[in-house]
Amino acid sequence: MSDALAAEWIKLRTVRSTPVILAVVLALCGAALLLVVYFVVTYDSLPPEGRARSALSPMGPLVEMVASLAMAVLGMLAITSEHATGMIRATYAAIPDRRRVLAAKAAVVGAVALVTGQVTVLGTAALEKLIVAGRPIRGQSAQSIAEQLPHILAMGLMVAVFALFGLGLGAILRSTPGALSTLAGLWYVLPIVVNNLPEPWHEWVGSVLPGALAGQLAGTGNPNSVYGSSLPPAAALAVMAAYAVVPLAVAVHLDRRRDT
Amino acid sequence: MIEVRELTKRYGDALAVDRLSFRVEPGHVTGFLGPNGAGKSTTMRVLLGLDVPTAGQALINGRPYTSMRRPLHEVGALLDAGAVHGGRTALDHLRWLARSNGIDRRRVTELLERVGLAGVARKRIGGFSLGMRQRLGIAAALLGDPGVLLLDEPVNGLDPDGVRWIRELLRSLAAEGRTILLSSHLMSEMELTAERIVIVGRGRLIADTTVRELAARYQRGVLVRSSREAELAGVLTAAGASVTAAPEGGLTVSGLDAVAIGELAAGHGIPVHEVRTRTASLEETYMELTAGDVEYGAGRRAEAVR
Repeated sequence: MSDALAAEWIKLRTVRSTPVILAVVLALCGAALLLVVYFVVTYDSLPPEGRARSALSPMGPLVEMVASLAMAVLGMLAITSEHATGMIRATYAAIPDRRRVLAAKAAVVGAVALVTGQVTVLGTAALEKLIVAGRPIRGQSAQSIAEQLPHILAMGLMVAVFALFGLGLGAILRSTPGALSTLAGLWYVLPIVVNNLPEPWHEWVGSVLPGALAGQLAGTGNPNSVYGSSLPPAAALAVMAAYAVVPLAVAVHLDRRRDT
Repeated sequence: MIEVRELTKRYGDALAVDRLSFRVEPGHVTGFLGPNGAGKSTTMRVLLGLDVPTAGQALINGRPYTSMRRPLHEVGALLDAGAVHGGRTALDHLRWLARSNGIDRRRVTELLERVGLAGVARKRIGGFSLGMRQRLGIAAALLGDPGVLLLDEPVNGLDPDGVRWIRELLRSLAAEGRTILLSSHLMSEMELTAERIVIVGRGRLIADTTVRELAARYQRGVLVRSSREAELAGVLTAAGASVTAAPEGGLTVSGLDAVAIGELAAGHGIPVHEVRTRTASLEETYMELTAGDVEYGAGRRAEAVR
């Protein structure tokens, strides 16, 4: 297994898409923080009644979403690019056990995504806190970073879950466009659809969407969002695990009889 | 050693390999020959565990490829030189392959030297010519110093220097006692490299023989010209040969070789102007063997088959 891990680690490091995707995530974190700076400067110039009317949502969930999508693409490309070029044959010729290949890819992609998720969500939240500097802005949490930490860690974890979900999807579909459109549907279109469902469907389905899980895992729920909050933390964790593992398991099952 | 037993592979309705059996022994290059679509690449993919056989077995050193833990030490393969990630450098491509089978990094440098890619090791593969990719593919196949090599059309896209390089490389690898299966759709390539030959058409075995036997089997008599042909024909027929008039003039003799014909003619004092053993070229023999099995033959041939 260590051979496969090391090989997959070299592969991930030696394609251009990896640094490009990481750079995009960092750039979007920077853009989010610039937005906070712009808001604070405007806020300070407003009269008290203007300040009372304006609000700024926290940046953590936004960064979580962006990093999740980016890491899902990273995970997806780790397998679909090999199918697209035919290199998957070299991979399976070197490591005939396909479960071992997929497990190694999952470990490498999952680790990169976990670090990326934790660093970007935590970093953005902490810098946002510094920029806001105690101003009583509506929408901003009055809690300290330490108090928000469970939610922040849960969001960072969700980024890794999304990366494994993307890898699993790519392993099932074996095609970049196919996996990418499925991903975009789940990430972007589905929440819009769910938002328009009648109750109680809205609350139920809204609670198992990927974006709803971090809040429920941390026990803070999802106030002011399209997402529901009906799952206890343990159930939210189980749904997260299902997003990460089920597509990978389906791929392993399919690959037992599939040609390459 | 490579052993294919009653192998059948079906893709949907298409039968790519049909109860194919053959063995490839160590110590020489075995050619794997057949028209496009004959099932050569499919057989190789099944041998490497990439495609699942519909029925039958494909074994290397007595076991299925998928049971090997570090297969690159036993089997090296070049299937499609284009099947690499163009964004990766040649060095990185060989590094991950080596690492996946616990092969030392020095071996990578050594092979890049050996295949003549040391100078472009840190260049992206995307910018490589087909010939350079073939060389990279050969390096990848040799990484684990395997005893068995499977090469699918390795000379495609190579310039004459490259073709000669591969031929010499393969012959020297075979001389070291390795088992080498080399596929091609060109008989001329086999004449120069292979000792044994396995010919397939439409997924079925057509011939499993040596190149020499194949040439001998399709020998087409001896052409003899003489100023006293009628008399000579009588002498040769009396000695047990069958004699017919050759379309281009002279006699076609079968049942006696050139030496015996010359001796008989001299014994009877008959002057002989030409004695020539006629062999069909291997290329002709091959075309004849596979004529009915060309998947997309030209119209005329298709008519003839019907």
